[in-house]
Amino acid sequence: MPDPALALLVFAALVAVTAALVWPGVGVLARVRRGGRANLRVEMEDALKHLYKVAYRGGEASPESLAGALQISQSHATRLLSQLKGAGLVREGSTARLTDDGSAYALRVIRTHRLWERYLADRTGVAPADWHTEAERREHEMSDDDVERLSARLGHPRYDPHGDPIPTASGDLPAAFGVPLTHLEPGDTARIVHLEDEPHDLYDRLVGMGLSPHMDLRVLEGPPGSVVVEVDGRTLRMEDGAAQNVTVTSREAGDVSTGEDTTLLDVPAHGEAVVRGISPACQGIQRRRLLDLGLVPGTTVRTELTAAGGDPRAFLVRGAIIALRREQQRAIRVTLPDAATTAAGAAGAVSAHGGTD
Amino acid sequence: MAGHAHRAESLVRLGLRPDRWDWLVALAGNPNTGKSTVFNALTGLRQHTGNWPGKTVVRAEGAFAYGDDRMKVVDLPGTYSLQAGSTDEEVARDFLLFGHPDVTIVVVDATRLERNLNLLLQVLAITDRVVVCLNLVDEARRHGVHVDAGRLEKELGVPVVATVARSGDGIEQLLAVVHDVATGRRSTDPVRVEEVPPELESAIRSLEPELAAAFPTLPNRRWVALRLLNADTRIENAVRSGEIGQLRPDAAPPPVTGRNVGGERARPHASSPDPTAVAVAVEEDGVPDIDRTLDALNEATSDAAREAVLSRASELRWTLPPDVHDGVVASIYRKAEEIAHAATETPGVKARRTLDRSLDRLLTSPWTGFPVMLLILTAVFWVTIAGANVPSGMLATLLVEKLHPVLVSFGGAIGMPWWLSGFLFDGVYLATAWVISVMLPPMAIFFPIFTLLEDFGYLPRVAFNLDGLFRRAGAHGKQALTMAMGFGCNAAGVVATRVIDSPRERIIAILTNNFSLCNGRWPTQILLASIFIGSLAPAHLAGLVSAGAVVSVALLGIVVMFASSWLLSRTLLRGEATTFSLELPPYRPPRVLRTLYTSLIDRTLIVLWRAIVFAVPAGAVIWVTGNVTIGDASISQHLVDWMNPFGLLVGLNGVILLAYVVAIPANEIVIPTILMLTVMTTGVSIAGAQGSGVMFETDSLVDIEHLLRLDGWTLLTAVNVMLFSLLHNPCSTTIYTIYRETRSAKWTTLATVAPIVMGLGATFVITHVARLLGWVG
Repeated sequence: MPDPALALLVFAALVAVTAALVWPGVGVLARVRRGGRANLRVEMEDALKHLYKVAYRGGEASPESLAGALQISQSHATRLLSQLKGAGLVREGSTARLTDDGSAYALRVIRTHRLWERYLADRTGVAPADWHTEAERREHEMSDDDVERLSARLGHPRYDPHGDPIPTASGDLPAAFGVPLTHLEPGDTARIVHLEDEPHDLYDRLVGMGLSPHMDLRVLEGPPGSVVVEVDGRTLRMEDGAAQNVTVTSREAGDVSTGEDTTLLDVPAHGEAVVRGISPACQGIQRRRLLDLGLVPGTTVRTELTAAGGDPRAFLVRGAIIALRREQQRAIRVTLPDAATTAAGAAGAVSAHGGTD
Repeated sequence: MAGHAHRAESLVRLGLRPDRWDWLVALAGNPNTGKSTVFNALTGLRQHTGNWPGKTVVRAEGAFAYGDDRMKVVDLPGTYSLQAGSTDEEVARDFLLFGHPDVTIVVVDATRLERNLNLLLQVLAITDRVVVCLNLVDEARRHGVHVDAGRLEKELGVPVVATVARSGDGIEQLLAVVHDVATGRRSTDPVRVEEVPPELESAIRSLEPELAAAFPTLPNRRWVALRLLNADTRIENAVRSGEIGQLRPDAAPPPVTGRNVGGERARPHASSPDPTAVAVAVEEDGVPDIDRTLDALNEATSDAAREAVLSRASELRWTLPPDVHDGVVASIYRKAEEIAHAATETPGVKARRTLDRSLDRLLTSPWTGFPVMLLILTAVFWVTIAGANVPSGMLATLLVEKLHPVLVSFGGAIGMPWWLSGFLFDGVYLATAWVISVMLPPMAIFFPIFTLLEDFGYLPRVAFNLDGLFRRAGAHGKQALTMAMGFGCNAAGVVATRVIDSPRERIIAILTNNFSLCNGRWPTQILLASIFIGSLAPAHLAGLVSAGAVVSVALLGIVVMFASSWLLSRTLLRGEATTFSLELPPYRPPRVLRTLYTSLIDRTLIVLWRAIVFAVPAGAVIWVTGNVTIGDASISQHLVDWMNPFGLLVGLNGVILLAYVVAIPANEIVIPTILMLTVMTTGVSIAGAQGSGVMFETDSLVDIEHLLRLDGWTLLTAVNVMLFSLLHNPCSTTIYTIYRETRSAKWTTLATVAPIVMGLGATFVITHVARLLGWVG
């Protein structure tokens, strides 16, 4: 028998090496698999995407903006552009504009990317902050057939989870709409239609603030410098850089609700409330299940049971006792009986609203 | 009721022979509405039913005869809606659309009318020929809810029959109505939800004319338009292929004799050329093979018109707001509420029955819920272990001690060669006998008790109580139950994970079920604990100490289960989809006899049968390796010698490793195999041993201890074997079950390999730490 101390050391070393190799996400294997993708094709596709997006929002791309978006050196960016020109994807000339072929190619990559984000949001438990990275990886790996299959499986969705339209298979994409948040004045009310997912750290910050498309907001203090908005009863401050990446459409003050959102979480034990709707942050199968259980605007809900530790709680919903976890309760917006006089009106307003948003 | 006798005359149940039929009946409904009970009442099949939402995962089919007509019944998965959001919903929806049922029975729970009407209204949008089975009216009455079936019928425009499926009340009338609707003697005029959000309404209106142009005979165009606007792939494909045009206007059902639309199956009393072919097609993809009937119908529609419909639909979809689906569900619920209020005498939010409320207070409150739960679970396990001891012993005496020698001498008497008799009786027979005597009694006790608790409605409350704990580990509260089931049998535990409807949590529950110490492994634990650990304590405490050791191993299993659930949910399964939903059904008085019968049939016997199927080859292999010699030693001697160095390195030995390899099919035979192999390698013979190469067990702990110590066993070896018995691959029955449930080689491999790696790692570390500290040589 070997020396026990030595044996244990060897064992510990083996465990450590194995972990370093195969640990999901950060292990050597995962890194090697990721590294293998950093090739020319990926770079070209990313460049096309950048050029398309800039043009879509009405801007003009340049080697500088390309270098910034892809995080490569400027000389590298210039080289990349001339390669794209050589391939007939970018027009000759000083400004970097796509040819028709280039646009079609870019739309295909964007379509794949946004479909993947939709898939990750609806059908998986991947966190919102990871959607973009994961989709960025997948968009370069799929054949046209794969993309069509994915689209069909998702029911040919129209928007990605950031609120961006998904180009159709024939390359149609509706014109951009909405304005950056920085264009609003204090006192304006608006609805978020899009959160730009590049650069990634700004996007992370926006998601971290709890923002998502379809949310209503009211501008309290305007640009320049920073923007202060009221969302869900919370006051959020963001620099212009971040606010620039939030696209909104103006709405009448009467149509939006930016006040504090009472959710099922706020309903006390043995209390009652009327459902106003489900938060836009809750999407995909989660949302559909809650709707099917009868948690639609106008439904009266009563707290029945509370488990040890307060989570989950069970509610009487249309005659059935349904247990819901804390994060689900948070997604269900309700009107408490204090506001009972307005409850009927609110429920009606919200359901009409549910039809128009 | 007098109907019972009458029913016996008119209703002939055909059980599982649904191969010839005149009318096709689909059975739909929410989960946990007694749909399976209705199915059983109709067909006489004993499909397992439980007080659990989400039981019918695999679709069941059955048949019965009514008068001269044979009816085939297809039990669709229980779903909350038909929006095709999950596989179950897709299967149900596709069958209603393309399976062309003559009648659809929608089972509706009278106690939760609104929610059930949500599904019913969606079914009515697809088909006219619906009969509503208003079930659980007795339960509703107990809860102070009276649903007026006549009024409901008027509101819905389809026949409504009040039933209590459990006792069979109303089933006869249901049959008569189903028959009337099938034969067209009774027509229906179902209510439709017309109200939709305004944007959707205008989109539907502009799509309808296109549909009408492409499919002039298409009924429910509005519904098809709605689905197309929802980008429902199945419907899009059906439009593209023209299959949708086959939906016939069923508002005017064809006369009894004129059912010539649906091809072969539609001829009354058809003995079609290959009657099973249709059934097989239905079973495999949920949609019958209707290609044969398509051609004739396709001619009317041109490809261009169909493509025009599709491209118009995808254009229109861009005009819709993103959350238009919410509005659709809300308007269905508004209609459901309206109808439910009109038909129920206690409208508004109903108070729950006081008994249910006080039971819930007792069983789920933070203060009493946990003590009561521990008490109940302890009682269940105690009754199982204590109650199984005696019959297990009796079975072992009968099968091993009495019958085995008789078989051997019978073999000798008829002149069987020694190898045949050894192979059959010492190998195959003995292994099977052991598995049966160890496995059958505890399962026959444990599963019925468990099923009674399930039937009563207690188990969802356990899931509710423990969900907080499981949530922190990234798992679902219902895993508490599959885990408890695993203590009886891991294979049954894995099957039970079907009640978990969230994909990620279900895989976690499947992968970690093996850490519940199943009853096949308890004998190993108890034997080793009594010999090696109990003996450390003074004689009067020995029993307590060894019991404590066994319980500690089981608790360690629970700890490992939580830890690995946590790890899995944060690494490999991080991206899997997750939804939580847990419905707490009303308490129902359990039906003891029925439960005993069904749980014996579906759980105990099926699991036992599978175990036997695997034990037979194991017995054969054990005998062959023990009795076929190569050179101067048996195969197993060679294998033991070969594995021994590695075995010793991880604190076990070659015998133990080989025993675990050959006992993969069934943990029950680990100890007999170890004893047999040890006798073989040490050459010692003890009382009870039946000659070399034959598995045996003996009641004499002293003899076993003597034998094992001679082979070099120490306290450390015993502890390691106890650990390894907890942490090693699942038995082959369980592995097979995991594969069937996940349909994934990846998860099956992980579930098999990960515990072995953990077990070998644990024993290795313990052994070397013990040696380092000088506890053992």
